[in-house]
Amino acid sequence: MADAPKLVNLTVDGKKLTAPAGSLLIDACKNVGIEVPSFCYYPNLSLQGACRMCLVRVEKMPKLQTACTTVVAEGMVVATDNEEIKQARKAMVELLLGNHPLDCPVCDAGGECELQDMTFSYGAAESKYMEPKNHKDEQQWSPVVFFDRPRCILCYRCVRVCGEGMDVWALGVQNRGVSSIIAPNKEDHLECEECGMCIDICPVGALTSGAYRYKTRPWEMNHVGTTCAHCADGCKTTLGVRRADEGMEIVRGDNRDKSGINNDFLCMKGRYAFDFANHEDRLTQPLIRKNGKLTPSTWEEAFELVGKKLNEVRMRDGGSAIGVIGSTHTTNEENYLLQKFARAVLESNNIDHHRTADFPALAAVLSGKQEITASMRDVYNAPAILLIGNDPTEQHPLLAWQIRNNVRLHGAKLHIINSEPIKLRRQATSFTQIPVGAELNAASFLAGDDSALNAITASASRENWAALRNQLRNTENLVIIFGSEIRGAAVTAVTHLASSISGAKVIALADYANSRGASDMGLYPDLLPGYHPAAKSGLTLPQMAENAKSGKLKALYVVGSNPLARFHLDSQIFAGTFVVVQDMFLTETATIADVVLPAANLYEKTGTITNTCGDVQIVKKASEVNGPKSDFEMIVRIADAMGYDVRNLVPFGRGETADMGQSRGAQSGEADRHAVWLQANNLEPKLSPFDPMAIFDEIQRLVPGYRVSRLNLLSGNDEHTQLSQSGPGAKHDPALIVPAHDNLFSSGTLGRYSRALNSVMENRNPQPAEVAAD
Amino acid sequence: MPILKNIAAIAKGMSITFMEMFQPTEVENYPDGPGPLKGAKFQERFRGVHVLQRDENGLEKCVACFLCAANCPSNCIYIEAAENTAENRVSGAERYAKVYNIDYNRCIFCGYCVEACPTDAITHGHGFELATFNASNLVYRKEQMLAPMPAHMGANAVFNQAEVNQGAPAVPVQGV
Repeated sequence: MADAPKLVNLTVDGKKLTAPAGSLLIDACKNVGIEVPSFCYYPNLSLQGACRMCLVRVEKMPKLQTACTTVVAEGMVVATDNEEIKQARKAMVELLLGNHPLDCPVCDAGGECELQDMTFSYGAAESKYMEPKNHKDEQQWSPVVFFDRPRCILCYRCVRVCGEGMDVWALGVQNRGVSSIIAPNKEDHLECEECGMCIDICPVGALTSGAYRYKTRPWEMNHVGTTCAHCADGCKTTLGVRRADEGMEIVRGDNRDKSGINNDFLCMKGRYAFDFANHEDRLTQPLIRKNGKLTPSTWEEAFELVGKKLNEVRMRDGGSAIGVIGSTHTTNEENYLLQKFARAVLESNNIDHHRTADFPALAAVLSGKQEITASMRDVYNAPAILLIGNDPTEQHPLLAWQIRNNVRLHGAKLHIINSEPIKLRRQATSFTQIPVGAELNAASFLAGDDSALNAITASASRENWAALRNQLRNTENLVIIFGSEIRGAAVTAVTHLASSISGAKVIALADYANSRGASDMGLYPDLLPGYHPAAKSGLTLPQMAENAKSGKLKALYVVGSNPLARFHLDSQIFAGTFVVVQDMFLTETATIADVVLPAANLYEKTGTITNTCGDVQIVKKASEVNGPKSDFEMIVRIADAMGYDVRNLVPFGRGETADMGQSRGAQSGEADRHAVWLQANNLEPKLSPFDPMAIFDEIQRLVPGYRVSRLNLLSGNDEHTQLSQSGPGAKHDPALIVPAHDNLFSSGTLGRYSRALNSVMENRNPQPAEVAAD
Repeated sequence: MPILKNIAAIAKGMSITFMEMFQPTEVENYPDGPGPLKGAKFQERFRGVHVLQRDENGLEKCVACFLCAANCPSNCIYIEAAENTAENRVSGAERYAKVYNIDYNRCIFCGYCVEACPTDAITHGHGFELATFNASNLVYRKEQMLAPMPAHMGANAVFNQAEVNQGAPAVPVQGV
């Protein structure tokens, strides 16, 4: 570990304080609760010294100094609050307001504007300027970014966050001095990742969001802190919701309190792509196929029909004739409940989901090893990172942000092995390009198998590879991140490398919000939750399709998944199968279903999800659309309709009547383990069969990695789960993994129905203009 | 002498009574008086039903800043904002109130909304005849509170022109 930094002593406003040598005066003051106002200073961005709001008087220095660029020194005596400084701040605010329009009632930032706050705290009541203000019309820079030039106070935060933070460099400064203006680097529009960081970081309302513009005001919304529903990075997001005709509508996404693993970062999808919930194609009524046509019906009729049909198939053909396909977008509780429903109620092990990473192989090699999976926070603090495969800039924006900023702020070494020249190579210490599909060879070589190099030496010389391997082996606390290219044997090789390095940790990258959770919760035909082997293996997803073709699969229950499109299945093969689909939209799979049940999305329910690193976070109900139900409720209702005692599915209510082993224990007379566990953990039994927390109790009891601090989790923080005490995992056919290949602007089914994402896509790939035929 | 004091007090009191008997009557003849106010008289400062003002171009002054709603102690103002477009320009600024409701079941006529309004869009009018048999009638919509168009914008126009042509009585535009 590095030595503790040297401390220096200084005096601020008569208070004696100590600060680490090299830290900035503004930070030292902030740490002891002395507020020094500033606009341009932003933690972790380069220093600008542009706004002059943080002026302080340092003894023995001739003029007022900017606290944001002054480094603390031994014996420094500082005044931050006297008449001279008050006068200086007042004058600065007056200058800033010189040409700032007074359209606060209309401005989107009104109510959470730093200039408003500063004027209120430090500004003068009147202005000496009576000249007319210089007006410029608003500009649209991209489908989601609007710029109102007169409002800009030239703090350059947007320019810096876009360049330094995002490594996009789409914004710049035109002209110099008083005529400086913020402008896109590409003519009149932004050529960027549309992350919206510039809008979020803008202290005033100069940059506004296309999704949120003029819709409401900050204090009129309810703000719900939850987790993003898109990629597998699990960014924390605060959704601003307001009343709408059909329920509660999300109007804004940002990370308002800058908490969680992503601090203030959100990508395009997190910030704008919540509008799928209010898409006009959203299903709000259950549909039942009558005379070959899907017709709206009631929930009671739908549940009754599904229950009756599934019961029929189970009685007649047995559970093995029923298949279940789970989702990568539902909560851990729903996934757990679904596999329990399949195994206990349907008596079938035919359960699978859209796999995007080889977690069972990872569990197999990590079982019994302590502290070997990295959390998203580790990526920001690791001294070195090895990235094999994947393109985090496109597929894992938060991961890319963490890597970039780790390299920029902490000087981490980044080593990349990839078949494509991915953008992150700009931050890399070493970039090694390999032929497509050679990831296994690379991993095997790094793990110590010299012969593995033969197939790929064409791309790099042997010495370089050996040097890389030696360097990695000598890097303590290395974080190894690998994409879905690394599967099966390659996972073993990578973890072999990791375990030979002290403190090294691994991350496997999956593609969807709860891909990891689906895997941890046992949506596998041969694995139970926690990667414990099932007594009898069922059918995988392709096998289910095979069986459907040969007529052996009589019923298929699909929850939040679209296997028909994803696996390019022929819709005819399910002609003889009773198909039930729970989804938000009429997807390809839903169009062939016999019953379609409208489902709530991840922003409309409560539970926990696990990101690709294994960090569990809570999701809270933010928005609402009248009609759909949560998958959790639907599964319970279907079990009920099948005549199953739901107390055995969801442990709810007091144990006295139901228990002492008759229902939940293994044998009659045995104590109710769940009740015992609850009591041991000071928890109350939950009262409703629709309470996901009841299943979360069971997950915490049975899945070893999920025994995390519940208090911390419920307060909205991330908790890392380890695979060390998991079951032995399994070796699966690598071909079962089908990567989603989503980019920054696509997100499976959710992306297809997001107007914001589609507008960006159209803007990027405009339809070719019609050419005059002459 | 307390008895003399009492007599003096009664005499003083009754003198006012007898003096008033010879003064002209001050009772307002509401609701049988003349004019649209039916005889009711108001001080200028009287705080009655709100009026949403228009600017000289006939555009609504309200920019849906929500400050009135934020300031309202009885929480009776409900607003939905929307963006002006070139085709549909309602207010002078970028945003306008698509929905503006005041719930007169709850309004206490304190005038805080008027104080808060940065564009002088909401004012108190002199309307006071709010009584109704159905509480839901007391939720006033924007259209019920909007000021008429300025005279040069056709405040004297009739909205039922087509019916007038067929002989119906002309009804002056209220609001819209």
